[in-house]
This record gives sequence, C-alpha cells and structure tokens, in this order.
Amino acid sequence: MNAELASLATGQPSNVDAALSAKIDIRNLNFFYDKFHALKDINLKLQTGKVTAFIGPSGCGKSTLLRVLNRIYDLYPKLRAEGEVLFDGENILAPGQDLNLLRARIGMVFQKPTPFPMSIYDNVAFGIRLYEKLSKLELDGRIEAALRRAALWDEVKDKLHQSGLGLSGGQQQRLCIARSVAVKPEVILLDEPCSALDPISTAKIEELIDELKQDYTIAIVTHNMQQAARTSDYTAFMYLGQLIEFSPTQQVFTNPREKRTQDYITGRFG
Amino acid sequence: MDRPISSGTIMARAFLNHRDGTKGGIAERGITPAFAKRQQAQDSIFYYLTLGFALLVLVILGSIMASLIDGAWPAFATFGLGFITTEIWNPVTEQFGALAPIYGTLVTSAIALLIGVPVSFGIAIFITELCPRGLKRPIGIAIELLAGIPSIIYGIWGLFVFAPFMQLYIQPFLIKGLGPLPLIGSLFKGPPYGIGILTAGIILAIMILPFITSVTRDVFETVPPMLKESAYGLGATTWEVVSRIVLPYSRVGVTGGVMLGLGRALGETMAITFVIGNAHRISNSILAPGTTISASIANEFTEAVGDLYTSALIGLGLILFVITFFVLVLARLMLMRMDKKAGG
Repeated sequence: MNAELASLATGQPSNVDAALSAKIDIRNLNFFYDKFHALKDINLKLQTGKVTAFIGPSGCGKSTLLRVLNRIYDLYPKLRAEGEVLFDGENILAPGQDLNLLRARIGMVFQKPTPFPMSIYDNVAFGIRLYEKLSKLELDGRIEAALRRAALWDEVKDKLHQSGLGLSGGQQQRLCIARSVAVKPEVILLDEPCSALDPISTAKIEELIDELKQDYTIAIVTHNMQQAARTSDYTAFMYLGQLIEFSPTQQVFTNPREKRTQDYITGRFG
Repeated sequence: MDRPISSGTIMARAFLNHRDGTKGGIAERGITPAFAKRQQAQDSIFYYLTLGFALLVLVILGSIMASLIDGAWPAFATFGLGFITTEIWNPVTEQFGALAPIYGTLVTSAIALLIGVPVSFGIAIFITELCPRGLKRPIGIAIELLAGIPSIIYGIWGLFVFAPFMQLYIQPFLIKGLGPLPLIGSLFKGPPYGIGILTAGIILAIMILPFITSVTRDVFETVPPMLKESAYGLGATTWEVVSRIVLPYSRVGVTGGVMLGLGRALGETMAITFVIGNAHRISNSILAPGTTISASIANEFTEAVGDLYTSALIGLGLILFVITFFVLVLARLMLMRMDKKAGG
C-alpha cells in the first residue's frame, strides 16, 4: 500500500497495483502566466474510471491544472506549460496536437452554468453535430440518453425546444453536463461545478458524478471539503502551485501525511 | 492598492460623522421647512427641464416631417402615385418621377451592405478572437481613423483615384468575366465608365465599414469568455464558436451595427454625388451611371427654379425619410422574430 501511495505521489510507475491504469499521467508539469510561475513541478496520475478531487485554497493552481488538461489555456496569449501530460500515453503538450479533437475527448464543465443561447435540444446537440453526422432519429436518441445521464430528462422532456436560458441554475448546470456527456468524451473535468448552486442541485450533481465515473475518468476542483470526501476516490491537495499530497481520499481525510494538508482540511487556514 | 470600502468602514465613517460636530439623526439636524421646500423646488425644476429637452426631440421630428409633407405636397398633388413609380425626370417639361433615385439609393446601399457587412464581421472577429495582442491597437486605431475621414475626401478620392482604377481594371474584367453569364450577366453589361452604381456602392461599403466594425467588435467583446470556452471545450473551431455562439449571443447589437451602417449608406450624399454619374435613369447594368435621392437633391437644389421642381426635390427627401423609417421598423421586427426563434 505504501509503495502504491508513494508511486501515486511521485508519478513513478507502480509495480504494486497493476490493475490501476493512468488515463492521464502528468509529469514534471510547470505552468506560467507570463512570468508568474503558477504550477510547480506537478506529478500525478488520473486513474481510469476514478474520481480525483483537487482541493486547496484559492489561487493554489487547481483550476489552472484542470485548464492545462484540455489545453483551454491555449486560447489566451502569454500562457505556457512545460513538462509532459500523457493522455493514453500521448503527450498533449507536444506541438502539432489537434486541439479540437483533444477537447472533444476531454470534456469540461465550468463554475457557472454556461448554456448556449439556443434551445435545450440544440445545446446538447451542439457538440455532437461538430463531429458526427447522425440521422434525426439517432440524434434524438443520443440527446435523450445524454439528458438522462445528467438526470435532467424528466424535467425538460416536454420543452426540449425552449431556450436553455429559461432553466434554473441547477438545471442549467446539469444541461452543461449533459452537453459534455453527449459527445462521449473519455475524461470529464469539473471546475467547481457546484459553486453557484443551491444544496439540492448540488446533491443531484454529486449523485451524478458517482453515476458518471462508471464510464468516465473524472477530475473535480472543489472548495467544499465534504464534497471532495463524498465524491472522490483520490484527493490531491495543492498549495501555492505545488502538489502537497496526493492519496486515496479516505487517507487524505482521516490520516494525512502532511501537516499542511491536515491544517487545511480541518479549517486551520485557507 | 485600492480596496473596496467594506461595510465596516462605512459604519466607522458614520460614527465619525457624528463625532465631528453634527449631532443625532437627520430629523434633529435642523432641516427647516424652507430648506425642504427649496429641495422640492430643485427637484421639480430638474424634472421640467429634462422633460423639456425630451419633448424638444418630438417637436423637431414633428416639424421636420410637417415641413417635408407641406413642401412635397405640390409634387404629389400633380403626379399622384406616379411620382414614385415613373422614371422620367425632365425639369424642362416639368415632368418628375422619383423611381430612378429610389432605385439608385436602394441598390447602392444593398451593394454597400453586401460588401461591407462580411468584411466588417471578418475584421471584428479577427480583432476579438484571433488577433495577436500587438496588432490589436493599430488595427483598432486605423478603423477609428477611417470613420473620421470626411465624406468629401471619399468623394474626390473616389472620382480621381478609384473610378479610373475601376474603369481600367475591375470593370473590363467584370464585363468580360460575368457579362456573358445567363441571369446575372445583364448586371455587368455596357461600357466601363468608371463611375456608376457599382463604384458608388463600393465607396459606400468602405465608408460604412468602420461603423459596423466598431459596433460589432464592441458587442463581440461582451460575450462572456466562459461561454466561448465551453464551446471550445466541446471541440469547436473558432469559426464554429463565432457562427454558433458569438453571433447568436450578440445578435441584437450586431443588427444594430448593421442598421447604423445602412442608415448611413442610405443618406450618404457627398461621396456618392462625385462617383455615381448623376443620371436619372434605371439601367439593368450596375456598371451604368445612376443617381440616388440625396445625390439628386444636392446636385439640383441650386438650379431648381420652378415651384414644382423644388417640390419634387423635397418630395425625394420625404421618400428618403420614409425609407429610413421602414428600415428601422424592419430591423425591430427582425429582432423580435429572432428573439422568438431563440425561445428567449
């Protein structure tokens, strides 16, 4: 067990648990906002079919790390990443990557719901239509499946062609999750998906995460300690751009190795 | 470092206020009836003053409309609806029909939009989505400068530089290349004059470009970054994000920008008068000379001796006024329909 933990933390190959495979393997990752060094030498693996939570005080680099994984940071000038991020063994930071395809394979849900200015149906169909040419019947099926996955179908099935902007905040966020799921990505990145939601909607989304991990590898950034404890299999604690601790969630919350981790999860700073 | 004032600071200041001489609440601080009355008077003066300014707009609009109708009355009384539907414009025999200038106005504006809108959108998209940081300011400034060029300069540039260029290179090419085609061929027939409807339309396109560009750029910049990131996050290309997210999101503002451009194109006078050829006739070819409403008025006002001639020119003005009004109404209706379609 200790060997496995050590390997998780250092990112070195583990001989102990061969059953675990890394969907995403981050090696010596450094990230810069112009001159500001935002991520310092990060090494960790996102295990296939598991939920990995990222916790830490604001500005510690959790969201930045997530934004490296689908290279959304590329939209802005003067940001750069160094090191390696292996996605199924392929370095996504290498030049010549097809970013559009990469982002179709790694979905992302943001802090605030971001429904597109179109109908609920078209919102979910948006990503599918980008890459697949489906018949009306197949498309309908995919959209129903995605909305069911996101536990939204029953609430919207009678108003699929109304604007997505008319839904409540919690429904909008589930619509965004449905939209991500609909393109059948392999990884879903959730950047504080519940920070703008009420407790009931939050509970629904957490249930959803539990459902989704059967098919997807999930990374979730959260400020809510209980949420990390409830939803994740592994937890990474970050502080000032460094990965302080990365272990199975149970261990992080009951018996953390690092004093700083313990201080943070018990609310002594942050 | 500037920090927002916390509620704690506000309370502390209120506390200090009480310490620095004033006592108690508002009621105890010597608010005399006279003072209260003066404040009320101030408010009502302000109300009537601003009301007056607002009403002034209605009065000005109303009186312009009234004088236009009054001035145009003799022409409409003499020619009836024929004033709008006939092409003849003969000051000698006092026969006036406005069809040629109406046609010229609509066609040059249509050409201007056809060329100007895609180019403006392209510039705005490049500036907001793709532009390297260093290029953003120079292009932005250039666009603003383009908007600041007086129309008379477009006019002389159009006549002395652009029209000969059209005559030597573009028009022969169009006549040779597109003239023989069926259907659209007749649009590109005739001798290359240089001046004419097409040249005027292109000059107009250049003139409305900065207006449409700067409005669309501004509304494109109001699209929340997270919304765009969500679309990029699904694997969309820049084109897909712009056409399916940015444009629908900013449609109201963009339509406003296009209408602003159209309004300017419809009313533009000086530059057009230089390059359109000022011929009161309707040709099939867009290479032929023509005229627009505002160009006719500007050209002929000094020589309009008879009452009927003057009235016909004012009648043209009234028609332009009505066209502009309908364009605005059309734009509103379009926006309402788009809103319904988006389900918002």
